[in-house]
Amino acid sequence: VKSRINNMYCMAVFTLNAKMATAPYNYSYIFKYIIIGDMGVGKSCLLHQFTEKKFMADCPHTIGVEFGTRIIEVSGQKIKLQIWDTAGQERFRAVTRSYYRGAAGALMVYDITRRSTYNHLSSWLTDARNLTNPNTVIILIGNKADLEAQRDVTYEEAKQFAEENGLLFLEASAKTGENVEDAFLEAAKKIYQNIQDGSLDLNAAESGVQHKPSAPQGGRLTSEPQPQREGCGC
Amino acid sequence: MSTCCQDMTSRLKAAKEQTQDLIVKTTKLQAENQRLEVKAQVANAFLSKFQLTSEEMSTLRGTREGPVTESFFKALGRVKQIHNDVKILLRTNQQTAGLEIMEQMALLQETSYERLYRWAQSECRTLTQESCDISPVLTQAMEALQDRPVLYKYTLDEFGTARRNAVVRGFIDALTRGGPGGTPRPIEMYSHDPLRYVGDMLAWLHQATASEKEHLETLLKLVTMQGVEENIQEVLGHITEGVCRPLKVRIEQVIVSEPGAVLLYKISNLLKFYHHTNSGIVGNNANTLLTTIEEMHVLSKKMFFNNLSLHASKLMDKIELPPPDLGPTAALNQTLTLLREVLASHDSSVVPLDARQADFVQVLSCALDPLLQMCTVSASNLGTADMATYMVNCLYMMKTTLALFEFTDKRLEMLQFQIEAHLDTLVNEQASYVLTRAGLSYMYNCIQQHKPEQGPLVNIPSMDGASLKAAMVQFDSYLASPDSLLMLQLNYLLSATLKEHIFKQSTELVCRAYSELYAAVMNPANEYKEPGAILHRSPQQVKTLLS
Repeated sequence: VKSRINNMYCMAVFTLNAKMATAPYNYSYIFKYIIIGDMGVGKSCLLHQFTEKKFMADCPHTIGVEFGTRIIEVSGQKIKLQIWDTAGQERFRAVTRSYYRGAAGALMVYDITRRSTYNHLSSWLTDARNLTNPNTVIILIGNKADLEAQRDVTYEEAKQFAEENGLLFLEASAKTGENVEDAFLEAAKKIYQNIQDGSLDLNAAESGVQHKPSAPQGGRLTSEPQPQREGCGC
Repeated sequence: MSTCCQDMTSRLKAAKEQTQDLIVKTTKLQAENQRLEVKAQVANAFLSKFQLTSEEMSTLRGTREGPVTESFFKALGRVKQIHNDVKILLRTNQQTAGLEIMEQMALLQETSYERLYRWAQSECRTLTQESCDISPVLTQAMEALQDRPVLYKYTLDEFGTARRNAVVRGFIDALTRGGPGGTPRPIEMYSHDPLRYVGDMLAWLHQATASEKEHLETLLKLVTMQGVEENIQEVLGHITEGVCRPLKVRIEQVIVSEPGAVLLYKISNLLKFYHHTNSGIVGNNANTLLTTIEEMHVLSKKMFFNNLSLHASKLMDKIELPPPDLGPTAALNQTLTLLREVLASHDSSVVPLDARQADFVQVLSCALDPLLQMCTVSASNLGTADMATYMVNCLYMMKTTLALFEFTDKRLEMLQFQIEAHLDTLVNEQASYVLTRAGLSYMYNCIQQHKPEQGPLVNIPSMDGASLKAAMVQFDSYLASPDSLLMLQLNYLLSATLKEHIFKQSTELVCRAYSELYAAVMNPANEYKEPGAILHRSPQQVKTLLS
């Protein structure tokens, strides 16, 4: 009888592992993002377009901070993005500064039709550098790319600014949805790459990335039972 | 031949008689066989409908701490189904079997639920990392456990306790350890900057609360029973309860360290903001974290008003004499600077509009009322013109300070009334100053007090034509340069507009006084000879000259 039970147990373990390999957790990582930039550049609209795939025409000013989530896939890994959208108004600066802490990615947004929002980037960048950890991936996004006729900042100069400061760069439009998906994905890819080459230490507190320990890692599928899962709970 | 046939027939008959029994028996047996076969089919069908397969049994029983899988839930579903279906049997004459199966299934269900509960419980116990990996199986377990409210609740409690520990540990790490390589720096490194310190703690908790809510929503997403939202809020309250103490201790420390009125005010606004933000996540039910934040808000606000009142009572303790230039005192300027800073920080605060308005009334009455009192007391020993000038200056300073901010209309109106009252005083003072210097004051008084039964004016002492003529010489020199007759105090007025206003109004009063004098002299009843020679300017001319 005992051996039979053991057999049953092994079968059960096998079934569980097979299941885990084909359908692991809902996601393997959580990446925390923060969206920053001047008032009215379209930060909330970018988030809305990304999470709801819709353009929000009359977007009210953000009060303090709001957040949204979406699960994406990078190199076959499901990644949950937890995105904190901050208010651009100067009066909220003291509040929003507290949200940079522990962000794995920062989307720094300006409006290609308003030069002043581009000119303020260095101040946003200083904040981002001082308040996040060194591995935080920062992507520069020139929003409202659909308004080509009113363009006030050329693609080339922004590209150069991004290169000089080691930032990823894209022009996007929250209205048409152009490049919005890519903006969030590019940053995630870079973060994932940092994890893969080991430059991002997942064990450190507040790295902005949470890892689901039981999910298969780096394409290798786990074959032995996870001690934490099946292990005796007492 | 016949005998042969006879014999055969009898033998056949005998054989028939002999096999008759056998045939009957066979037929009987065949029928029996068929009947039994049907019975067997029925029994099999019955068993497959009302009993578990051995595999299902073993899946359900498993080992005590063995893993729970998808097939477990399928088997559990079967048990539930059988338990339901068996009720049909009770209506037939198979009651004994029905009852037995029912009992069996009930027993099996209970042990299965218990096993599932133990598994889910130990699963939850492992969820103490900052990352919280809720497996789909656990989510399914919660779905199954909702049929056993007690077990469901206990599992949720276990989950809450594990997450509560995780959140507390995460919070303490963020406070004391910071990020990798020390960036971001530990929150406690900013304890010298109260606003940043408190803000960072509350922002961290806001984000942690949002994440925990997501975890709970994942855990309970398959639960269909009523009140899931309440469950989530309740457990969320439990999870965030652990950080309340460390949070409270730190914020209290900041508040009682007397960071000054402006900072206290900013902190109180920040707390209010996070109370509002967090209530969006945890709902408005009784929640310890919300209560703690509210308590801290109340405390900081109380300390703020204490601070303001202390400031005010200091003002009243040593009241300064007005300076020689009748301008605002240092204490007034200092208090107005404080008030400006407080109002400015309110202006930029993140608190909703209506709450801001309510605060303003209190702040203003706390700071402005003692200030007004102080000015009145310090002005009390001055002469009329000095007092009025000093008060106008003080009130004017208050008014210009408040005018920059919203919700001050009522106060501004009140200040304006007070200023106007003192301006009236100054207008009268200035007018009588001019009349006295121009020598018309006595004559104007006589005219006003004169009654017809006293006889003509010309007979009243010092009201004769010659005296009037002499006074008019003086008045003429005033008309030539009206600016020369200005009270010294008017030069001390801070507002040029108010000074201009006083000048215009007082000049009008002088004109009116002259008109009355003119009318009296021109009146034949007063018996002046050649009145046109005494007062050679008409009131209209005087008005033109003075305007």
